[in-house]
Amino acid sequence: MTLILDLILRLAVWLLLAPLLPGIINKVKAWVACRRGPPVLQLYYDLAKLWRKGVVLSTLASPGFIAGPAVAWVALTGAAMLMPLGPAGSALSFRGDVLLLIYLLALARFCTAWAAMETGSAFEGMGAAREVSYAVLAEAAIIAAVLSLSVQTGSVSLVTMLSPSAGAGAVLLAAGLFTVLLAENCRVPFDDPNTHLELTMIHEVMVLDHSGPPLAAILHGASVKLLLFAVLLVQAVLPMGELPPLGVAGALAAGVLVVTVGVGLVESLLARLAFRRVPLLLTTAFLLCLFALLVAWKGGAK
Amino acid sequence: MIEILFTISGAGMLVSILAGARAPKLWLAGVLVGAMGGFGAAVAALVTGVVWDWQGALTLGGEAVHLRLDAVSALFLALLSVVGGAGAVYEREYWTEIAHPRSARSGRVWWSLLLLCLGLVLVTTNGLHFLIAWELFTVSAYFLVTLDRERREVRAAGWLYLAASHVAALCLFAFFTLLAVRTGSWELGGMRDHAELAPLFWLALVGFGLKAGLFPLHIWLPSAHSNAPSHVSAILSGVTIKIGIYGLVRFSGWLPVPPEAGWVVAFLGVTSAVLGVAFALGQHDLKRLLAYHSVENIGIILIGLGFALVAVGQGNATWGRLALAGGLLHVWNHGLFKALLFFSAGSVLHATGTREMSRLGGLWRVMPWTASLFALGAVAISGLPPLNGFVSEWLVFLGLFDATLAHGPSAWAAIPAAILLGITGALALACFVKVCGVVFLGAPRSHAAAHAHESGPAMRGAMIVLGAACVAIGLAPVVFWPAVLRAVDVWNPVWVGAQTPVALSSLGVFHVALAVLAFLAASWLWRRAGRGGLTRALTWDCGYVFPTPRMQYTAGSFAGIITEWFAWILRPVRHEHRPTETLPVSARFSEHTPETVLEYAVEPAGGVVMQLSQAARRLQHGRVQAYLLYLLIGLAALAVVVLLGGDK
Repeated sequence: MTLILDLILRLAVWLLLAPLLPGIINKVKAWVACRRGPPVLQLYYDLAKLWRKGVVLSTLASPGFIAGPAVAWVALTGAAMLMPLGPAGSALSFRGDVLLLIYLLALARFCTAWAAMETGSAFEGMGAAREVSYAVLAEAAIIAAVLSLSVQTGSVSLVTMLSPSAGAGAVLLAAGLFTVLLAENCRVPFDDPNTHLELTMIHEVMVLDHSGPPLAAILHGASVKLLLFAVLLVQAVLPMGELPPLGVAGALAAGVLVVTVGVGLVESLLARLAFRRVPLLLTTAFLLCLFALLVAWKGGAK
Repeated sequence: MIEILFTISGAGMLVSILAGARAPKLWLAGVLVGAMGGFGAAVAALVTGVVWDWQGALTLGGEAVHLRLDAVSALFLALLSVVGGAGAVYEREYWTEIAHPRSARSGRVWWSLLLLCLGLVLVTTNGLHFLIAWELFTVSAYFLVTLDRERREVRAAGWLYLAASHVAALCLFAFFTLLAVRTGSWELGGMRDHAELAPLFWLALVGFGLKAGLFPLHIWLPSAHSNAPSHVSAILSGVTIKIGIYGLVRFSGWLPVPPEAGWVVAFLGVTSAVLGVAFALGQHDLKRLLAYHSVENIGIILIGLGFALVAVGQGNATWGRLALAGGLLHVWNHGLFKALLFFSAGSVLHATGTREMSRLGGLWRVMPWTASLFALGAVAISGLPPLNGFVSEWLVFLGLFDATLAHGPSAWAAIPAAILLGITGALALACFVKVCGVVFLGAPRSHAAAHAHESGPAMRGAMIVLGAACVAIGLAPVVFWPAVLRAVDVWNPVWVGAQTPVALSSLGVFHVALAVLAFLAASWLWRRAGRGGLTRALTWDCGYVFPTPRMQYTAGSFAGIITEWFAWILRPVRHEHRPTETLPVSARFSEHTPETVLEYAVEPAGGVVMQLSQAARRLQHGRVQAYLLYLLIGLAALAVVVLLGGDK
């Protein structure tokens, strides 16, 4: 019984809070640009509206066009269930769950890219190609980051990897993971969620042909992914091991807020990169994570 | 019991060899009985853990026939039986007498012979018999590859396969002969205490590595696997290259290995994994692309084996067992999903007559079964949960993470290996999104693709069996785990009883939940989308009203970003004719990725050998006087040698 209650509460936290993040980012951007900006809850309104709408399908699309977003959403939610939430731990924890989490993100990527290829549009093909190609470098960075956490704590399970205080390489890891967060969630400087030119998009162009409930699933899944990366980054870097449970929860929430505001500031202050520079930045992120790994190994490793 | 099963299996195979030419139905029955018998025996050995040992009074080549089935052999035998049986069913529809009157009969006989000899290689414990069976299966595979030998590229591929296989066979002849000379008998078995046998491992590595197709010994693999008929490609990629792995696993378990062996194997594994998938991304031919993925997956298996060898050297059981178990489970997994993918590719080839991805597209509409089963195989080979590919890659990853945590010198190898394995997974995902998207989704790019047809019940049935096996291993890995562990224990008896904490049951529960929820979510979203009203409209192309299939993204463009990163080794050849005038009349662009190792290393080396031989040929001209002169010069040289070296 408690198990089911725990699962429901956990789902509620993840699914209900996630759409808040894009709202906060947009508010920060508006604030920097001295605009009023859309309400913080805008994504909730959008999701509710999309859910009620009808669907326009490409004449070429197969049922996979709708199944893709659904499976991607399930994969992302499943990944969220594996991610520990401070004192509450995770819904399911076992040795090697961190690898399952990484590969669930990959499954979501496969499904979104599949759905993009359904339409036979050159734009969407372009977006899918960029998404899966840049993910190769992001994956290397994530594996290096996970290895460094693993070496630091002597564990391969997320709950123990993320619970103790941060190691010596925390700053390096923070920089590396933050860059990966920006790349994986298609934020500036890798991608501009607000751009209006199909040729220059990554994520937005992949969902050009989606509408109605499937688009709602994609947008909501994307916000869950953003929250997931923010929670991972905060717990990997912030030394929260000694705080009381409520303090940890507060620190976690504050940390996620800081990361979100940080994303908003980056988006306001930086221009997006030319595509040929994207691999360079991702390689830098990988190197940062690799150095964090070396520091963890040479420094106070268990 | 195993004895009875083997008798039935052997009888079935013999019947099928005799019936192959005349009675196709009897042939199929024979092969299926043989496969079921073999599968039953393998399952019995894996479940009970009993080692079946049988010595007959019969002698062959002066050596008594001695068969043994332990868990390592049984693991490979199970795969052979499943893929061999499924391939025979598939063949009945794919390579029919009507479509291929010249080769259908011989194809059936060679198929049976191939299965029989592969089985013999797996169970014999006599070096001489191993070599005989090895040579026979190599030759049967050659005739199967060249079934369609009217086409020039098929003959070329067959020749390359035969040449490479015989280089491998040469190494193995040397290996087994030296082994027999040093031990005094052709009998094989555990002899880890004979430290002087360790250097023989390098011969085995080249011989078995050539068969397994590890980079850079894979030169024969892409052309042979792509030009063979698809059911043959399936068994070549799914099983025969695994026999190379079997050899490496078997003899690294039985014989002592040099201390560097583990590092070398792990390095070769990582290289094969990353470069195999990089080459796959550069391909435009569906089956050639799948063939390069075999190189990648052999690499993943070798990473597991290599780290197990390193662990033996360092006396650490935990991660060595994990890595080897992951590698061995990947043998099964790759055999299943690669055979499934080749069957599906064959179904596409059967329906459209082309393997060129740029001529396909939109096939899901006419071939829904093939498209769905190919998608299943694609998810599995990309190592994504909840299918089997993820389970074995996860085990290898765990082994690598534990090797890093062990903090010894192994960590220096495990860290790059883990990162590169992650990169390999992401690259494979990119490659299979490309294949699925270009071949099965979007609009048909040619008349043939638009008018394709779904394959019949036999081909579909074979694919469904393999797909079901992939799903079963993915959803219930716990069921298959004891069998794999048994093989690991046979490989290194020292590790028996060591703890291997693996949360496979948690993983299985998560996989089942993921599969069920994904299915429910997809059907719910489909229903929801339908309720609000489904409208069909043209794909959005910036307001363009008449999109044509040729405006779709191509396979080459899709892979362009990544092939650019790997251009240093892929060396793509471009032919382009750019538009120049204001109103250009014509423009052309084509690109293809050659087999770099073959064209830049093996062929130039072969050219040098040919030139030297041509030069040496001038000495041979048939003039007796000159030959007498050679004799005199030879004698004089001998005399000089004797005079100068006489004192010693």
